[in-house]
Amino acid sequence: MSDTTLLAVFEDIDPAANAVEKLHEMGVTDEDINVISGVPITHKMLGRPHPHTNVSRLSLMGAAAGFCFGVFLNYGTPYLYSVYVGGQFITPIPPGMIVMFEMTMLFAMLATFLGVFLDSYFPNYRPMEYVAEVSDGKIAVFFKCPEDEQKKFVDALGTLGAESVKPAEAQQL
Amino acid sequence: MSSMTVDLNRVGAKGAIADEAEGKWGMTIDQDLCTGCQACVAACAMENNLSFVGEEDAAYGRTQHWIRIERFWEGEYPEVKATPFQPMLCQQCGHAPCEPVCPVFATPHSNAEQLNLQVYNRCVGTRYCANNCPYQVRSFNWRDYHIEPFHANEAVVDGAVKLVFPLHNQFNPDVTVRRRGVMEKCTFCIQRIHKAQDKAKSEGREVEDGEFTTACAQACPANAITFGRVDDHESLVSQLAHQGRGVKHLEELNTLPRITYLKEG
Amino acid sequence: MAVTSKYFSGSEKAHADQHEEEDDPRQYLMYDPKPRGEMNAMVMESMYTTSWKFWLVMGILTFLVITCFIYAWGYMIAEGLWVAGVMRPSYWGIFLVNTVFWIGISHAGTFISAILRVFKAEFRRPFTRAAELMTTFGLIQAGASIFMHLGRVWLLYWLLPFPNARQLWPNFHSPLMWDLLAIITYILGSTMYLFLPLIPDLAMARDRTEGGWRKIFYRVLALGFRGTEGEWRHLQTAMNFFAFAIIPVMFSVHTIVSWDFAMAMRPGWSSTVFGPYFVLGALHSGMGAVAVVLFVMRYTMKHMDYFLRKEHFDALGKLMLIVTFAYTYFFFNDYLVQWYGGDKWTDALLHWLEEGPMAWMFYQLLLFNLAIPALTLWNKRIRQTPWLLALIGLLINVGMYWERYLIVPVMLTINRMPFTWKLYEPRIEIFLTIGTFSLFLLFYMIASRLIPLVPVWEVQEGQMTHTLRKVGKTHVPTVSEFE
Repeated sequence: MSDTTLLAVFEDIDPAANAVEKLHEMGVTDEDINVISGVPITHKMLGRPHPHTNVSRLSLMGAAAGFCFGVFLNYGTPYLYSVYVGGQFITPIPPGMIVMFEMTMLFAMLATFLGVFLDSYFPNYRPMEYVAEVSDGKIAVFFKCPEDEQKKFVDALGTLGAESVKPAEAQQL
Repeated sequence: MSSMTVDLNRVGAKGAIADEAEGKWGMTIDQDLCTGCQACVAACAMENNLSFVGEEDAAYGRTQHWIRIERFWEGEYPEVKATPFQPMLCQQCGHAPCEPVCPVFATPHSNAEQLNLQVYNRCVGTRYCANNCPYQVRSFNWRDYHIEPFHANEAVVDGAVKLVFPLHNQFNPDVTVRRRGVMEKCTFCIQRIHKAQDKAKSEGREVEDGEFTTACAQACPANAITFGRVDDHESLVSQLAHQGRGVKHLEELNTLPRITYLKEG
Repeated sequence: MAVTSKYFSGSEKAHADQHEEEDDPRQYLMYDPKPRGEMNAMVMESMYTTSWKFWLVMGILTFLVITCFIYAWGYMIAEGLWVAGVMRPSYWGIFLVNTVFWIGISHAGTFISAILRVFKAEFRRPFTRAAELMTTFGLIQAGASIFMHLGRVWLLYWLLPFPNARQLWPNFHSPLMWDLLAIITYILGSTMYLFLPLIPDLAMARDRTEGGWRKIFYRVLALGFRGTEGEWRHLQTAMNFFAFAIIPVMFSVHTIVSWDFAMAMRPGWSSTVFGPYFVLGALHSGMGAVAVVLFVMRYTMKHMDYFLRKEHFDALGKLMLIVTFAYTYFFFNDYLVQWYGGDKWTDALLHWLEEGPMAWMFYQLLLFNLAIPALTLWNKRIRQTPWLLALIGLLINVGMYWERYLIVPVMLTINRMPFTWKLYEPRIEIFLTIGTFSLFLLFYMIASRLIPLVPVWEVQEGQMTHTLRKVGKTHVPTVSEFE
């Protein structure tokens, strides 16, 4: 039995959530379901498992790296090549605060940005399963089901209010 | 402050200053003797390859004068009284406000010689040092004045008219000629300091007080400017500085200037 | 989704009461939802539609950029800074004024997209991107202005934190180095913060474009975004982080820029209140600029009257009023205290400001920055009239530019060496300033044709969270949270 991927397009959140519940009843696991939408919809509304993200961890790692870099710039480089200016101590504290803060924020932000790219596998220019209606506000539910049970799923989701249920094709976005 | 310095020779860092470098140079300027003749200004310009900016730019505040004579008067006409002339030049401050603000370390402090150095080839031209100098003694090279056509003469060479720059013959070979975009200021004639030190070293002795002096001190007909080692209590400049008439300008700013002005004797 | 239609049927419509009309929630964008597809079409259409007036303005701006920015700057680099008006004692002139001005403009973008997001102020939704674009483009002009100021701009890279050929690092004691690090952090941060919420709208543009260079442009920049739950989660986590992170960066950037002045030993500059004073000044001029930009958007771009409504100008006007008072507070903290304390140099400086040749600037500053906003913005009618708010915003910007002009070259005139006192005359800087303004406007106009200026997904998200809930005999506007 080979699996095929179907896609059901819904107009509103309620029918989409009901559809996800129905799919669970019909034996489709969460890993085989993918919900794509034009606005962010919380996982709780759809009855889906909590999506995990590594972005916040990467932000913290970036902040730590930035902090170390800031410490190095202000407290390390003067000892690598010492130049005395203005009768001030070679590594004064106030400029250190500023440099450490800015570098911490910079690297944290860069790491966060990078985290989005890494976690979402951006940039992704391969053909992907998608329908253009999603950016028009529709909610698309992609799911894997056994090929011979296709009609059952089409009927079930149709009664729940799907605008269309059809086989999904990977298209060049 | 000395407890907070790092022994660079032990740390082995770059920029370590040789132990046997000599210090501390200073100056006294007797405002009661100064006649305002501006010989020091001319001598400094000759010695240090200063450019002539022309009448228009000089009027607009772009003079290349490392030393200037300030004139003031008191009172209202007709009871106007002239005040003593005030030669103003780089004070080589111990806590120089111009030094920490340069983003590229173009004006560091020489701990050994106690001079405020200006590194022309490092200057990027942010001009923060000039803003921060309370004595306003820094000059900026706004233009390539030395090679501007208005300084040139037209000469006929091989039948063609060419520009020749006679002032270039006057340049002091011991001093760089600065291009535009670079900050400069009085260096206490550091080229003369080093020349005298080299000569003394090659003869295996110390530099004697009075063996050499800065261009401005040399030119002053009233002997108002005295230059020498202020850490040597026997030197003329030290003795003059410790007379009762000595003041330091803008002392309240805690810049620790190296020049003592003698006035109101 | 959202608003139940039965509210609008039947008996309520019979009331021709003014009061009822004002209460009609459909006047508010969040309670006047349209289908997403329709909003997408409106935004795309406003992006594509150009008129001859648009091309005329583009032509003028391009001409000004070529002459007043590229040619004038090239001439100055070739000739030296003598073609500018800087001299002793005003070593810093209009270039620094421009730098501070543009950084000020850029702060409004962050305020609106970050601070309003953190405080969940829903009215921000249609114009966060327009404001954030101001940040990015304003910072580019600030960078250009500070490069113009350098004596040897071709050696600019020496300021970067890396060891040179002799292993010398730059000087971190210097406020200019802090400036460099802060501005680099801010420009990178705000560009990233601009780009992240832009991705879904680029995906929408990609889906609605048939072909040609636009399709390639959107497809490449949309990075293959589809809108999966994972993608939204990563994006939202990142956007929340950025919103919280960029606020302290924003405060620190202008504080550090103000320390370029405050750390110096000049009378009038060495003031401890410069940090917050400059930040509030930045917000003041930035909000005014946002008012101008929103007014221009609403009246020149198609369909923007659906997205930008009286309520947005009203809210912006209230913010401007609050910032005016905060700015006035810091202004008086600076000047009043100096006036009262009165060391002789500060006294001379204040007399110079009040009675000297630039006194007209000082009084215009008081009028445009303090008096006019404080006296007009409390009035709801004025706030809700877009052109009036834009005019007030423009005057605020003029006043703030005068304020920076007074602080930089004019205050530098009065120092502790009276023999050097001389008034600054701007020369080529005037052209270069026109050049930076033209470049800013040119960038903005090009951006308005390339990317959707209204974040439609955020507007739809907002409309989904706003409902009318029946409480007692009436329907009450209710906002919920979806995160």
